Amino acid sequence: MSVEISELLKPFYQVFEDLYRFAKDAKTDGEKVAGYFCTYSPQELLHSAGYFPVRVIGGLGATPLADQWLQPFACSFAKSALQAGLSGDFSFLDLVMFSHTCDTMQNLAEIWRRRVSGLEVVIVSTPNLTEGDIPLNYLMKELERVKEELERISKVQITEDRLLKSIEVYERHRSNMKSLYALRRKNPSALNGEDMFAIVMSSFLMKKEAHNEMLENLIQSLKALPVKDVDKPKVLVGGSVCQVQGFIEAIESAGAFVCDDDLCMGSRSYVLPPIYDGNPTEILARMYLSRVPCPAFHKPGHDPASYLLDRVVSSGAKGVVFLQTKFCDPYAFNYPHLRRTLEKEGIRTLLIEVEQNQPVSEAFKTRISAFLETLQ
Amino acid sequence: MAQKVPIKTTAKMKELMGFYYMMAKAAESDPEQKIAWITSGGPVEILHAAGVIPVYPENVAAMSGTLKISDEICAVAEEQGFSRDLCSYARTDIGSVLSGKGPIMGMPSPKPDFLVCCNNICGTVTKWYEELQRIFNVPLIFIDAPFQYGVKDRPEAIDYMEAQLRRMIDQVSEIVGKRFDWDKFMDTLQLSDRAVKLWREIQDLLRHRPAPMNSFDTFIHLAPIVTLRGTQGCIEYYETLKAEMLERIEQGIGTLENEEYRLGWDNLAIWYKIKFLSERFSQHNAALVVSTYTRSFCYQAEDRDPSNPIRAMSADYLAGYINHGLDFRERELWQMVQDFSLDGIVMHSNRSCRAYSFGQYELARAMEEKYGVPVLLIEADQNDTRMWSDEQVGNRIDAFMERISAKKR
Repeated sequence: MSVEISELLKPFYQVFEDLYRFAKDAKTDGEKVAGYFCTYSPQELLHSAGYFPVRVIGGLGATPLADQWLQPFACSFAKSALQAGLSGDFSFLDLVMFSHTCDTMQNLAEIWRRRVSGLEVVIVSTPNLTEGDIPLNYLMKELERVKEELERISKVQITEDRLLKSIEVYERHRSNMKSLYALRRKNPSALNGEDMFAIVMSSFLMKKEAHNEMLENLIQSLKALPVKDVDKPKVLVGGSVCQVQGFIEAIESAGAFVCDDDLCMGSRSYVLPPIYDGNPTEILARMYLSRVPCPAFHKPGHDPASYLLDRVVSSGAKGVVFLQTKFCDPYAFNYPHLRRTLEKEGIRTLLIEVEQNQPVSEAFKTRISAFLETLQ
Repeated sequence: MAQKVPIKTTAKMKELMGFYYMMAKAAESDPEQKIAWITSGGPVEILHAAGVIPVYPENVAAMSGTLKISDEICAVAEEQGFSRDLCSYARTDIGSVLSGKGPIMGMPSPKPDFLVCCNNICGTVTKWYEELQRIFNVPLIFIDAPFQYGVKDRPEAIDYMEAQLRRMIDQVSEIVGKRFDWDKFMDTLQLSDRAVKLWREIQDLLRHRPAPMNSFDTFIHLAPIVTLRGTQGCIEYYETLKAEMLERIEQGIGTLENEEYRLGWDNLAIWYKIKFLSERFSQHNAALVVSTYTRSFCYQAEDRDPSNPIRAMSADYLAGYINHGLDFRERELWQMVQDFSLDGIVMHSNRSCRAYSFGQYELARAMEEKYGVPVLLIEADQNDTRMWSDEQVGNRIDAFMERISAKKR
């Protein structure tokens, strides 16, 4: 990799030093900061109400405070986030936004609302049906309601003009991220999985304006690189949340090349069709519903397995590593179908059950190495 | 302990349910008769009006649990990659489809012509029915009932439900190839309404001391309201049961000879341990007299407008206990404590059901600290026996009852 590109990548890695450094700095400078739980939260509304939106990510380690409120069969993402909330790690946030997804998150929102003090809680009733005019109408009304709620809390009037400007920033960002994913298809050697993960994570934690600029510079330089494939076995990583930095790194240090992902902390947040015309809330509603659905959602006509197979084939991956977060029901329900479909096409798969609050284990590395041998 | 006086109507239920499953099974080989699989909280009245036989995988799974055959059936699904951490009803049902084994004379449920899934009970059914759609390759009608975080249901959510139910009517009519019979639909809604009210009245009779039956009985008598809601047979059944309960009250027949303590139950039944639990609580003269679970099948929206039946239906299908946030659940629990003069609440922390179970720790704390109501949490599973220990749970029940009796003294 050229010196120039490694220099350009460095700032994306800054987030791993302290995930919320940018948010905390902004707060110190007198800005308002909002945490959001998943990328179905309408960040554009937060942005236009004057908040700096950052994604809620839990930390590594035991979750004794969260264990008082969540049973042992709750996923580690919910637990680690609640642990951080209860220990005051998010005291720099003015507000936290939940978007309705799965059973665990819906109840986490409720426990959080009643137990984590000192910050406003806004819950978006995102429909779980994501196709057609009926949920579209519902979501448009819901976004109007959320807009009013944010106006009341922030005392900022979200004018159409303001909101359109925020949408523009976010749309530009999605389009940059999409270009980056496309570029990796064309030129696999341009960026490895670890770099991509750093870019994705920083996208949730930095200001979109700054991230856009960084992305655009990077894309420009990457485009100038000669097209070259990699000589390592290429794998795609699938799953739901993926908040542990070490997962992708460990897969690659075992000798694989993570050429693409199908993760909610990854491509599913960014691979979307371009936005539609209409009033701002309609644009947002259409955009959120047009996404490759969160596994918790039902989108008639969408088959997660054929979608995944397409990604695998077009990215040139030889195998798929499923990072199944323990107790993540929506993804666990998809898994048998995903595996069946891929294996029918001769694509090898590996299922690893992971906890989002634990570092990479030796067993993880061993299983990856064994899997890679089967790909040779 | 004196011999418990058995509930006579139980025999009638076995007959009613037996007939229903025979009829459903017979319909499997009749190409004219459509069968739909539907979730327990699904808008079944539309199916009855269209002449479709509804089949409830949850009910069939619970039957497998009661017959203690669910573990081996679940294992079949697990071999196909379904995690053991997933809902045991879903694993039981999918395993039953894959293995051809089930509780209906050893057979699985009759095959569906289409599927109806409403997520007002959980998000798990969404994923479970997607898998059923892949297995059977039949249409899936999905009704998205937004979870109500607040205490008051949002009118926009009712609008959303109504639009979906109206579309469902069109979808079902298209599948059965007949014009929708609105008159029959209105009649069905009335039948359903009457059954729901009867079911509530019957459960409310358990306010009487001594309670004429207990929650373990209501778990069993739940089957008709789930599977036959909207039919005349359902009403006749509950009228008989209600009459028997009134008679028992008049004659002073209780579920226990000496009812000293009254408890509430939260979450699904532990199907394979009903007898054990019932006996253990009886030993302490404790009767379980109410449960959020069986009451879930008689929720009606607070400000429903009976003059607009489809609107009222839309509101009702949002209105269940489990489709609400913790403020609503807390209010309901406290209301139950007062109405049924409860000495404590038993919460089944159900590994299979994240929707029902997460938040219980918070509710338990609220009950204990705000209202002074003792709460026992039992970690178990509705259908999967592999986590259960008689001894452990028994000891916890004993300790809990000691605490309650000490408090009462």
